[in-house]
Amino acid sequence: MATTTTAPKLKTHVGERIRRTEDPRLITGTACYLDDITRPGMLHAAVLRSPYAAARINSISIEDALALPGVKAVYVGKDVESVGGVPCAGSMPDLRIPNHKILAGDRVYYVGHPVAAVVATDKYIAADAIERIEVDYEPTELVSDPEEALQEGAVKVHPEYPDNVAFTFSQEGGDVEEAFRQADVIVKEKILVPRLAPLPIETRGVVAEYDEGAQELTIYSSTQIPHLLRTQLALQLNLPEHHVRVIAPEVGGGFGSKCNVWAEEALAAFVAMELKQPVKWVESRRESILVVAHGRAHVDTLELAAKNDGTLLGLKLHILCDIGAHHQLLTPIIPTLAVLMLPGLYKFRSFKADLIGAFTNRAPSDLYRGAGRPEATYVIERMVDKLAAEIGMDPAEIRFKNFPASTDFPFNSATGLQYDSGDYATAFNKALDIVDYKARRAEQEAARAEGRLYGIGISTYGEICAFGPSPATPAGGWESASVNVEATGKVAVMTGISPHGQGEETSFAQLTADALGIPMDDIVVVHGDTAKVHYGIGTFGSRGISIGGSALHLALQDVVAKATKYAAHMMGVDAETVTFEGGVFSSEATDSTLTLADVALEAHLCRQLPPGTEPGLAATRFFEPSNFAFPFGAHICVTEVDKETGEVDIQRFVAVDDCGRIINPLLVEGQIHGGIAQGLGPAFQEGVIYDDEGQLLNGTLMDYSIPKARNMPWIETDRTETPSPVNPLGTKGVGEAGTIGSLPAFVNSVVDALSPLGIEHIDIPMTSQSIWNAIHERSRT
Amino acid sequence: MTLKGTYSLPARRQKVWDALLDPGVLARTLPGCKSLEAVGPDEYRMHMALAISSLKGVFEGKVRIEDQQPPESYRLTVQGRGKIGFVNGGGSFRLRESEDAVTEIEYQGDVKAGGTIASVGQRLMNMTSKMMIKRFFTALEKELTAPV
Repeated sequence: MATTTTAPKLKTHVGERIRRTEDPRLITGTACYLDDITRPGMLHAAVLRSPYAAARINSISIEDALALPGVKAVYVGKDVESVGGVPCAGSMPDLRIPNHKILAGDRVYYVGHPVAAVVATDKYIAADAIERIEVDYEPTELVSDPEEALQEGAVKVHPEYPDNVAFTFSQEGGDVEEAFRQADVIVKEKILVPRLAPLPIETRGVVAEYDEGAQELTIYSSTQIPHLLRTQLALQLNLPEHHVRVIAPEVGGGFGSKCNVWAEEALAAFVAMELKQPVKWVESRRESILVVAHGRAHVDTLELAAKNDGTLLGLKLHILCDIGAHHQLLTPIIPTLAVLMLPGLYKFRSFKADLIGAFTNRAPSDLYRGAGRPEATYVIERMVDKLAAEIGMDPAEIRFKNFPASTDFPFNSATGLQYDSGDYATAFNKALDIVDYKARRAEQEAARAEGRLYGIGISTYGEICAFGPSPATPAGGWESASVNVEATGKVAVMTGISPHGQGEETSFAQLTADALGIPMDDIVVVHGDTAKVHYGIGTFGSRGISIGGSALHLALQDVVAKATKYAAHMMGVDAETVTFEGGVFSSEATDSTLTLADVALEAHLCRQLPPGTEPGLAATRFFEPSNFAFPFGAHICVTEVDKETGEVDIQRFVAVDDCGRIINPLLVEGQIHGGIAQGLGPAFQEGVIYDDEGQLLNGTLMDYSIPKARNMPWIETDRTETPSPVNPLGTKGVGEAGTIGSLPAFVNSVVDALSPLGIEHIDIPMTSQSIWNAIHERSRT
Repeated sequence: MTLKGTYSLPARRQKVWDALLDPGVLARTLPGCKSLEAVGPDEYRMHMALAISSLKGVFEGKVRIEDQQPPESYRLTVQGRGKIGFVNGGGSFRLRESEDAVTEIEYQGDVKAGGTIASVGQRLMNMTSKMMIKRFFTALEKELTAPV
């Protein structure tokens, strides 16, 4: 098993269940979210969106809207032509990027496409004025379904790309054809992974303000990536980047939806500069469900080749990804992550994957919690179960048989990734013990004898985290951290990540408290303001602790080294003889001690500056990882299906997750619980529904069904800790784990329950209706 | 969304037919109808107020009557647009007179909605449509049985 060599010594904070320091302001309502921001003279914007999935715009009449008292301006596509398009970071050779203007030109391509913007003295006037804009749309032919889009003679979403192909991507490893020739058994399945709305509790929003004197543009945005947004806005608006400041205030969740560069951000910036007045735009919930890039959107076709003894040989996958009418920032990249993680935790010898992105007249798709990994894990875990059923092998046994051993790490996956460290069998055994697997199988036998539908579903998942080595990421994968020890001994930590619910103000303070031997109360963690913190990449892909935390770890080491020099000089001894423990520097030679605060004061007063030392006690470091980190785990779900109603009762849900070394178990469990909810939602009830006219049919929270408290099972969590060797903290990341592991565990469980009826697969969401239909189709035939 | 059903009116077929094609009667009986004016032969412009769930709005649209086989059947197409989206529909009406001077109207059609009305009102669209049809026929029945 891989271990770290440079992990800091465990002290009093790291590894403890410490409550989040963020929470008091959040639960007392004193936190400042985007919509809490007001600026002097601030105006309010509203966006008019297309009701058609495809139409020509013959004319737009704005006179009535402008006539409404309080309306300052109305903008349509031609007014904002100077603003650059919405960026896309994909890089496939055949990637096609249609011009993605911030407001529609003479055509709209999806329902919700921004057509015009009104700016008014308050948001209600802006909303009223939107209704007074007359748009003469001429509806055109459209294609809504991604499979139809790729058929011969399909309607062209963009006339310039007649085959509706947005990009392709292929990858191969080993000799897959030979594997299929050698196979005793081949199992096939077509699996749909529907579109999901990311649904952060706080919707998107932006406030833009232009200081004419300083020529500085300040953008407050509910974003996960303030620095990347600053760079992109500077490019879109042709502004010098050092005159643009982006602030991410308190951000109420993102799940990837705010790891993007949105049309409305550039639009607000443009308007604020034009009108020389601050402007605010806050998205409504309806807009959020309609246009915030949906996740997943796959039609997957799989073939798995194996030996009769359960040895996995090869895998063929075809992914059709419905990308919508336009790319957002990472649209083409996300499904490639599904290809990379397709082998899951197994020793596949060969694979072949073809990915095709199809334009459709739907809203763009892009990353959503897990981003590619839930899709991969879901389909591979379904296929492994299907194979086990085919050859009559226990689904637990087939998994053990194909895991790499803990001594095989670093392990090279069939897709060319190097899994950093792992001990899959130990985590899986732990989950099996907790659920008491043998007893559950015995219970299942008894239930089946009574005609009851009882299922046990297993998902052993792996994931790719801690994004990531820069060469493998579109915009750099490193992170920055600065530590300032002030004259009074208080400490400010500045990080380039941009937490929005993950709790890094707490975990970074834990790391700092242990490294400097000071109480957490003496530490402030600053983030999300490009004028306050050094350039960083942001928060997504479970990179906060592993990359940002590692940069902090390095900066803290520098601060301690410098402070030790000062302390030695102050005590008149050699630095090598000084020890630093619990915030106190001591020298046995002179029997003297100094606190960090003593040294910090001296570092600012500089009355006896050590030779070769600069004033101040601060350090800035950058961390570039050598590889991704690969967390893993095992989720087991026990269900009973009601034959009469199709309702599923989740009787047990066990999650054993290994996210490397843990800084704060409370934060880890929070991530696992929330993640499981976002994995189970799509398993049994969630999904965006479009009709064949490209109309989104469930655009409110009354219609788009996310799990409520009563839908959630009691979650039994446990963990193993296999440190990562690719960063000095040994951490791996846990942001996506619950979402990835839970979905296949549920689906496998329900399919297992229904297997006596001959049911082999039901697509998600497995609603009581679809389960009931499957049961009754079987009983009819 | 497909809509179909029957409704019986206590009037002779010709009388029902005449009422169904009389813009004045339609303006009075179509639920939410603010105005209905002829813009060509068998073609009308209509303003109609519509409320579904929390959505309220005025639709402006065109109504066209086609394939007339008096007094037996005709086809009706409706295209409406408003701030909350659009509704396009088409349907056929068939009139049969039974004994006792009762006319049975059989209708069958498709309605497609788009925009906010589709994403927000979907859940209630079917029910709302049925309710509006019922209101229309009830009003028409009143019109037909009103003392002259």
